[in-house]
Amino acid sequence: MRMTRRHVLKQAGLAAAVTTTSPWWLVRTSHAQRAKKLVFWHVPNFTPLADDLQKQQVYEFAKQAGLKDSDVEYDVVANEQAQAKLAAAIEAGNPPDVMRLYESNVQFYAAGGHLLDVHDLVEKMRKEPKGIFESAMTSVVYKGRAMGVPLAVNPWPVHARLDLLDQAKVEYPKTWDEFVETSKKIQSPPRLFAFGMCLGLVEDTTDNVMNLLWCYGGKMVEADNKTVVMSSPENVAGVKVIEAMFKTHKIIPPGAISWDNSGNNKAYQSRQAAFVMNPSSIYAYLDGNDKDLQKATGLFPVPAGPRGTVNQIDTWAYGAFKKTPYPDLAKGLLDYFMQPANYDKIIQSTGGRWVPVYKRLFDSPFWREKPAFKHFIKMAETGVPVSYAGSPTPAAGEVLNTHLVPKMIQRVLVENWEPARALDECHKRIVEIYARYAKG
Amino acid sequence: MRSVSRTRRSLQWVGNTLLALMLVWTLVPFYWMIATSLKKDREIYGFEATLIPHQPTLANYARLFAKTPFILYLRNSTIIAVGTTIASLVFGTLGAYALARLRFPGRKVIARGLVFTYLVPPALLFIPLFAVMSTLRLVDTHQGLILTYLSFSVPFCTWLLMGYFRSVPLELEEAALVDGCTRLGSLVRVILPMSLPALAVVAFFAFTQSWNEFLYANVFVNSVEVRTVTTGLTLFIVEDVFFWGPMMAASFLSALPPLVIYLIFQRWVVKGLTLGAVKG
Amino acid sequence: MAIRAHDAVAGRDGIATVGSAQARPGRASLALRRERQLAYALLTPTLLVILFLVAYPFCAAIALSLQDKMVGSPGRWVGLANYLELFRDEVFLRTAWNSVVYTVVAVALKFVLGLTMALILDQERRFNNVFRTLLFVPWAVPVIIVALNWRWIFDDLSGFLNNFLITFHLSRDIISWLSDPSLAMGCVIAVVVWAGTPFYSMTFLAGLQAIPRELYEAAEIDGASIVQQFVYVTVPRLRTIFLTTVMLSTIWTATNLQFVFVLTRGGPASRTEIFPHLAYTTALGARRLGMGAAVSLVFFPVLAVLILLLTRRMLRPTDD
Repeated sequence: MRMTRRHVLKQAGLAAAVTTTSPWWLVRTSHAQRAKKLVFWHVPNFTPLADDLQKQQVYEFAKQAGLKDSDVEYDVVANEQAQAKLAAAIEAGNPPDVMRLYESNVQFYAAGGHLLDVHDLVEKMRKEPKGIFESAMTSVVYKGRAMGVPLAVNPWPVHARLDLLDQAKVEYPKTWDEFVETSKKIQSPPRLFAFGMCLGLVEDTTDNVMNLLWCYGGKMVEADNKTVVMSSPENVAGVKVIEAMFKTHKIIPPGAISWDNSGNNKAYQSRQAAFVMNPSSIYAYLDGNDKDLQKATGLFPVPAGPRGTVNQIDTWAYGAFKKTPYPDLAKGLLDYFMQPANYDKIIQSTGGRWVPVYKRLFDSPFWREKPAFKHFIKMAETGVPVSYAGSPTPAAGEVLNTHLVPKMIQRVLVENWEPARALDECHKRIVEIYARYAKG
Repeated sequence: MRSVSRTRRSLQWVGNTLLALMLVWTLVPFYWMIATSLKKDREIYGFEATLIPHQPTLANYARLFAKTPFILYLRNSTIIAVGTTIASLVFGTLGAYALARLRFPGRKVIARGLVFTYLVPPALLFIPLFAVMSTLRLVDTHQGLILTYLSFSVPFCTWLLMGYFRSVPLELEEAALVDGCTRLGSLVRVILPMSLPALAVVAFFAFTQSWNEFLYANVFVNSVEVRTVTTGLTLFIVEDVFFWGPMMAASFLSALPPLVIYLIFQRWVVKGLTLGAVKG
Repeated sequence: MAIRAHDAVAGRDGIATVGSAQARPGRASLALRRERQLAYALLTPTLLVILFLVAYPFCAAIALSLQDKMVGSPGRWVGLANYLELFRDEVFLRTAWNSVVYTVVAVALKFVLGLTMALILDQERRFNNVFRTLLFVPWAVPVIIVALNWRWIFDDLSGFLNNFLITFHLSRDIISWLSDPSLAMGCVIAVVVWAGTPFYSMTFLAGLQAIPRELYEAAEIDGASIVQQFVYVTVPRLRTIFLTTVMLSTIWTATNLQFVFVLTRGGPASRTEIFPHLAYTTALGARRLGMGAAVSLVFFPVLAVLILLLTRRMLRPTDD
């Protein structure tokens, strides 16, 4: 009996070893296989109209290229889930062929060697009459080559309630000091707070906070993309302004600490905040849902600090993945999207949410005639990415995705740390991240 | 003695009061979901927001059915939940019978290992699991998601049924075996009929768990043809603009099937649980 | 549910097999072999599922945690470096503390509430079936929806709570439920308790109903008070159910990601940061898969030991 048992154990052990490792081998070997289809992941735009147009264009292109409808896979992927899905797909060697990517993601996936070089396409776009906003290039260029096709450069204006300014008989504030004074005049908490500044552990918070710091001369990293300068006296000064707004002047709703990216949108749309800094998604939403409020909404450059005014832009770009069985078709699709006739239709159907990358479009009545868009061309021309003075590198992407700046501001606002101490902590973590990417 | 019955009577009062409190605690959030789904946007956002919908509207529901493939999502969730339930019942029954009634090396290890499978954190497993599904070419299919859900439902079902099967008197099965029944025959003819409430419990849990799953469904499904209700919900969040009205309408509707099933099977489920508890 | 079971064989050790194998040693090996073959055949589907869908991904996760691996780039073996980095980080201690508080408090509250609910529902009253169904509602609502719905209730400006408090003049200021460092964890736990209590009341109720009424009657005749009846009749009979329910619920609570992810994302100022969420943001936010795996595995031994202790207790009668 004992012999048998030992024998059995031995066999069982062997069997267990073989069977537990077999999935590994199986999974490894057939990793790369995928369906022979042109796969397009659609991250919804901001209007159903734009979504429909885009879908239509994908199928139009496929038809021209001689593909049947069944050779195309058109999937809708919610933006919130896109990152997780793409990560799993890339790891399994099964990414889509074409997808829209946010800012630093272009350089991140380019660095991993997953994106097709689309330099020629972007060069072609630059040769269009009046060219494109060169500010878009910082995010798509990796090692001197354009790895993504920029489709929109979105400024982050201040959405401001003109009716409230009129009521209080004041102008839109020129400086942050004026901004605070005006805010105190027009707000009536708890029903209406002046400044819907996002302070939660989300991306919008990094955007809002950094934009204010720039006006005080602060920045996250130097233009060399190496030297982190988070603990500078300029940043301390800027953080102190936010601290005063939150704690002393109480012009920011306390709940902003737990807002997600939609918090400031919701506050403005429900008339509970008079100023918010956000891309024009709010304006575009009002277009379809609340015309009265849209009429009372002005889009302005951010107020100036001691170092003037700096405006943020974010850039969305299409990426084509190398794994695609149809590299020519993937690039062809991008080219098709960016052809003026197709591009103009989509961009205008977003009601101002996408700001065109082609400069010539600002000659069209849509962009010229609405007073709200008056400042957009200048903002798009001079705007900087959230990683300013650096470019949206993979390291900058990790800083944004891990919410280090929001954590820093919460140290100050929630845990009452000295701004300098919170910035020091944040500085150290950002240095670690940049060092890690510099190494490998 | 009298004091006991007096205490009992006052306990009844305490019980009624607590019951009322608990009903409020349990149902108010559910109420808010339904109320939001019946409102117009104006009533949803801001301090003008109302506690009771002043102008109740079914517009959110209409939008759900007219503008989104919600019916398709419901169909997919049903296929996947039912598929998972059936497969886990079959696999679970077979495995549980072996563990409960047969003697073989490794029995105890397997029996105990079943519990540990729960410890494996799903938040991370989806990446290697996704690789498995890619290899099997099951990404973005109903079968793929069913297979994935078996990873949590089969161990659970097996574990539960194992307990119930053990509580079926041995003598009954012995009699069947003596009468010339095979092992499988006695499983089908003797043990299963006695375990119907337990099977109801297991089916119920397998169904609700797969109906409610989000994480895997999110990563493993791309197309509308396979997308389930829970992940369809997130498509209402368009970048940073929430659509609470339709989202709450969808939430309410998607909570209904498990509720209805519980309502129908309630007696069975409680009985099944009770049966399992007898030996406790 | 589950509830019990493994001790059903108590006192019957060795009769787990049916048949005459033990009686006639001569044919034992043949019968045993057949039985063994049948057992493995029956277990094959279950074992395949566990192997491919649980064991393999789990081993892959362990392997990941030993690598410096970013999404989309090949990994580099670094031994325990990820774990060491994690232990040195002050975030780790805070997260560990939060995870323990969150799990223990939520499980304890669910236990107390669930037991109370079960005792109430075990009393006789009209429409008890209706009440049972109503109190069961939270279990039927998908977790992601529960979390979104509560986020909506806690919303500072449009949510039900503040709206209610201000409408009825119970509070003049809005309360920032999820932003206030002293309230946030409590709010998260409240949601977890709301969603998880029905599981307890269901299993406890089943246990209560299985207790023969005669036992109470006998105790009453012996002059036992209500409290004594509860302590000496009810509690001992529910012991196994308590253990199983608490064990399952502890695992489900401790590994759940969605509540924190939807409600607070670990904020404010890391007050609600727990391991599953930290793992998720590390693996998919920072895209450090290796580090993320390490974070998600670090809580594993604690839970494993807990389960080992609990199941040992439950399985004791069958252990030889």
